Amino acid sequence: MAFDNSYSRFVAWAKIVLPLVALGLLSTLFLFSKPIDPSLSLPYAKVDVEQSAREQQIKEPTYSGITSDGAAIKVVAETARPDVDNTGLMSAKVLTAELVLPSGRIMDIQSKRGTIDNNTNQVTLEGNVQLDTSDGYQILTQSLTSALGKTHITTAGTVQGTGPLGFLQAGQMELSQSNDAQYLLVFKKGVKLIYTP
Amino acid sequence: QQLQFGGMQQDTDAPVEVTSDQLSINQTDGSATFTGNVIVGQGEMRLSAQRVVVIYTEDQSEIEQMLAFGGVTLVNGPEAAEADEADYTLSTGTVLMRGNVVVTQGPSAVSADRMTVDLETGTAQLDGRVRTLLQSSGQN
Repeated sequence: MAFDNSYSRFVAWAKIVLPLVALGLLSTLFLFSKPIDPSLSLPYAKVDVEQSAREQQIKEPTYSGITSDGAAIKVVAETARPDVDNTGLMSAKVLTAELVLPSGRIMDIQSKRGTIDNNTNQVTLEGNVQLDTSDGYQILTQSLTSALGKTHITTAGTVQGTGPLGFLQAGQMELSQSNDAQYLLVFKKGVKLIYTP
Repeated sequence: QQLQFGGMQQDTDAPVEVTSDQLSINQTDGSATFTGNVIVGQGEMRLSAQRVVVIYTEDQSEIEQMLAFGGVTLVNGPEAAEADEADYTLSTGTVLMRGNVVVTQGPSAVSADRMTVDLETGTAQLDGRVRTLLQSSGQN
């Protein structure tokens, strides 16, 4: 198979060298590649499976109803979880409650967490609760309880807020319906107000 | 009868501080009522009463008037005045007191039916059966 011209010799050599190079390239694919760890690359859900299996959890629960005196109340939470021993009790996170009085005045209440108790028909909001009324009052407190059957909101501790009257501080606050069907927002236990004309 | 009351300038746009036992805001018409030994303080002036009703201006942005009931005492600097009722109009800085008004200024006392105090100029105008009791301090 000796060839006389150089071109044929070159082709003969190429036929041997080129496949070898190809083989070399192919082998680098497997020899030098990073070891891929299959378990890392798959995105597993981080939720603790047992926990979510054991407890039921409701996403975006909404409670809405009309109180006996005609005010519409609506409570929305991000997540709610029924209490293990007390079935009527639900503890919820990131609650917002909206109360629309028949006179048209609207009250929005937001809080970090809260509990809705169907036995006593009450919702309690805790964790820097903020109450905004449509006539410009913004009131902050630590914990607030609102009845679901009738319009009655009370705060456990002190309240602080601003409004058309100015800056306001009081020992306790209560919204209730007086006997002549007027809704009174009453601040109790010492009230201090600063108004700048 | 003209009377000097408090004598010094009282700027009526100083912040007003109101303390009381209870405040109830009527959600239907937005009126606010302070009850239970209410003390309205502004600068030197102190007005204390049992019940104070707040009246807003039409556009609900400003307080127009404070109506005090149930035995009002108004103290402005050295002088003190007592009456049954008083209306404090914030914009004009005048306090209108009604119902057996008694003004005590040091030893002397003046009583009348009505009195209007202009806090800005510190003068008081008394009318209606004004009686003055001058105590000559040398006696007792």
